[in-house]
Amino acid sequence: MLQLLLFGCIVFPFLLALAAAMSKNEGTRRTVVLTGVGGTALSALGLALNGGFWLPVPPESWLNGFMTLLDFALLGFILYLAISLKHRLSILLALGQTAGLLYLDFGLVSGHVSSAFYADPLALAMVLVVSFVGGVICIYGLGYMKEHEEHLRLITTRQPRFFFFMLLFLGAMNGLVLTDSLPWLFFFWEVTTLCSFMLISHDGTREAKNNAIRALWMNLAGGLAFVAAMLFLYKSIGLLSIQAVLRINAVAGLEMAFLSLPLAFFCLAGFTKSAQVPFQSWLCGAMVAPTPVSALLHSSTMVKAGVYLVLRLSPAFAGTTLASLVALVGAFTFVTTSALAVGQSNGKKILAYSTIANLGLIIACAGIGTPEAITAAILLIIFHAVSKGLLFLCVGAIEQHIGSRDIEAMRGLCQIMPATALITVIGICSMMLPPFGALLAKWMALEAAATSITLMPVLVLFIAMGSALTVLFWARWAGMLLGLNPVGHRPVQEQQDSTVSLSLRILAGGVVALSLLVPFIYLGLRDSIRELFGVGALYDVNMGVFANGIGMFAVYPLFILLGLGVVYALRAMRKAEGRVTALPYLSGIQQIENGKVGFNGPLGEFTEVTNANYYLHHWFGEERLTGTINTIALVLMVIMVGGLL
Amino acid sequence: MATFLLALAAVLVAGPMGGLLAGADRIVTARLQSRKGPPLFQPFYDVLKLFGKAPCVSNPWLIFSAYVCLLSSATALLLFFMQGDLLLLFFVMTVGAVFRVAGALSVPSPFGNVGAQRELLQMLAYEPLIILTFVGMSLASGSFLIADIYSLEDPLLPQLPFLFIALGYALTIKLCKSPFDIASSHHGHQEVVRGVLTDYAGPQLALLEMAHWLDVVLILGLCALFWHTSPTGMVVLLAATYALEILIDNCTSRMTWTWMLKNAFGLTLVLAVFNILWLYA
Repeated sequence: MLQLLLFGCIVFPFLLALAAAMSKNEGTRRTVVLTGVGGTALSALGLALNGGFWLPVPPESWLNGFMTLLDFALLGFILYLAISLKHRLSILLALGQTAGLLYLDFGLVSGHVSSAFYADPLALAMVLVVSFVGGVICIYGLGYMKEHEEHLRLITTRQPRFFFFMLLFLGAMNGLVLTDSLPWLFFFWEVTTLCSFMLISHDGTREAKNNAIRALWMNLAGGLAFVAAMLFLYKSIGLLSIQAVLRINAVAGLEMAFLSLPLAFFCLAGFTKSAQVPFQSWLCGAMVAPTPVSALLHSSTMVKAGVYLVLRLSPAFAGTTLASLVALVGAFTFVTTSALAVGQSNGKKILAYSTIANLGLIIACAGIGTPEAITAAILLIIFHAVSKGLLFLCVGAIEQHIGSRDIEAMRGLCQIMPATALITVIGICSMMLPPFGALLAKWMALEAAATSITLMPVLVLFIAMGSALTVLFWARWAGMLLGLNPVGHRPVQEQQDSTVSLSLRILAGGVVALSLLVPFIYLGLRDSIRELFGVGALYDVNMGVFANGIGMFAVYPLFILLGLGVVYALRAMRKAEGRVTALPYLSGIQQIENGKVGFNGPLGEFTEVTNANYYLHHWFGEERLTGTINTIALVLMVIMVGGLL
Repeated sequence: MATFLLALAAVLVAGPMGGLLAGADRIVTARLQSRKGPPLFQPFYDVLKLFGKAPCVSNPWLIFSAYVCLLSSATALLLFFMQGDLLLLFFVMTVGAVFRVAGALSVPSPFGNVGAQRELLQMLAYEPLIILTFVGMSLASGSFLIADIYSLEDPLLPQLPFLFIALGYALTIKLCKSPFDIASSHHGHQEVVRGVLTDYAGPQLALLEMAHWLDVVLILGLCALFWHTSPTGMVVLLAATYALEILIDNCTSRMTWTWMLKNAFGLTLVLAVFNILWLYA
């Protein structure tokens, strides 16, 4: 049964990806994608209900040889790709990876290494996020890509290729989180690199190609760090299993020195994949891809692989200098990319920087490494995936309707796309306000930072500044969306493909439902976190109130109070709808003409009023900040790795 | 449940208290300007009058935002009286601040929009200061729960003098008092009219006014935590703080948001971090 469920989560999406690649007509493709998504999601659910497991693969199993073969086949393909792109750096990085892996497999390792599939609640939560959020994004892709290609006026559809890589991505992510063997994990890791390259370059424009190449070489550099980490690890402990690394630390209580080098390289690999500064540019560039790709990369897959790896290994380096540096890099990323987001008016770019910021917060939690911090990190992964997936899908739907992804163009969206605008506002609130789960996680993170042993003042300062910046760019976006035409407001019916509107509603409902279920999610995770740290503390949950002796977060009471209040406010608001009596204040000379608000200018000429946000480019502009941020971050990276060599 | 009902009752009492404070504030301010000033209950008459106005909104979301603002202020105060978590209280306060701005941004009035942008920058200034103050309190008391601060033997002020100043700044910014009445001034005759409040009218403005009363009480309550050991100490500290607040309000003129972020915020942030480092080391 377990084997079947694993097959359903990992291999089934791969097979359906092949089927999608071969289905040339729309009907079959729909069926294939829906089957793939449904099958994967059901298997994921089954796996989660089945609970944690440890499934060793005997050394003599064919699977080991097969995975090695796949590793080299993949690297060979990436090398071929790099050569055909004539991108020297990528060629070198791919060659480096191949050489390292050859040395590892045939120089160092004698005989077979035992490998295993492994799942604990963290892995299962990841599988659920990947399969469900990723699945919804794929379904949304069906409607989105149809319109996207109509817009591009393509003669032959490129959707088979598109859905091939989308489904492949889901399978690879599931494989990545369910395997304990590092060489296998490396295979899935590089599959996600390949998929993201293919999907970013999907539209084939010059910009898409350039950005895809940037994503490729940065992630290949991370892959090289991964290979180096495996080499160092095998040299020091002779094993390539994550659990072995964690056990060594727990059992022997040995001096960690011989582990810190491989761990630092694994963290470096995680940073590149999670686009931490100074590697943020590949993820910002990735938004040239069709929106479902951005949604997938940013929410449930790709970037979450990086934080997963760092989080997974965090107990092994808890309390060391490496941990402090990891926390610092994460907190630094959180505050700097939040500042960069303030300077942006491009909706997708705001989302991109916000993703990087949240990943930074997760990394910071992994570095802080207390049970509370790890809980915060896992909850952030889950809630960020749902909310960010939702917001990307919203921006995609908005862009297809109004032809712009600039938030200035979204003023008064409530008028043209009432449902989508409202869902977007819910998504925004779910990122930053109580009683939503993401805020609960942020609260845990802040309290964990405040009680962290090393670097506490710096971490707290960075997180406090970062979260204030976050509120700034979210709040103004939400406000702009709520605009309505003052007089003659008539609700309009939105025209959307059913897959698009359905996915938006599923994710919006999901974020509320998950926030309500958060006590249960936490209880599901608690024992494994306690086990990992061997402590009994952590939060007690009573009637939906989280408490741990130094803090208290009342989820259900707040839900009830704020929920009732919001319902009342909505009713009060509905009563006034259609009875709008005033125009916006324009010094008393406000006018309305053809539904547009303005005033009569000096020559009696009607002038429409326009507003714009403060983006403060001289403070928060990319060109202003990026150089400094990258320099500081690079120094941090050099200290992290160089300090240990 | 008993705590909840008691706290709820306290919130209901706190509202009128905040109104009385606003009335007293106006009288003191008038005296400082050699005027007689309005009666003590003037804020209540104002609010009642606003409630009596015919609804006049240019976007129904203004109504929603005004209610959510009041709700958030009341819930934050409720958490305070229930001696809950300081950070949670702060996050609940944010809900109201966000919707106050969101409401203003939903209307295409340039006055409201400029006010909203400035309010966002004010939030950017006071939020980190408040978080740092709460972290400082938790360093001193070992917990983020207000209940645990009350169980301390010694007052917090001698340990957190710089954070008290930082909180003072933060609260002046939050309450839009001069020199930080940048997003919305008390008088509607300045360059941004009433800024972020411009398009809130009638009953909505009354709701926001009531939310403001609750905020004042909450903020004074937070200041009182710095001398929780004796009621006299509390009253003296609060009276001194509020008197200073009124004095500053009256003898400073409005500064720009750049000045606020560069000078006031920068300096205060240094003070706050210094205080935390001092406790941490």
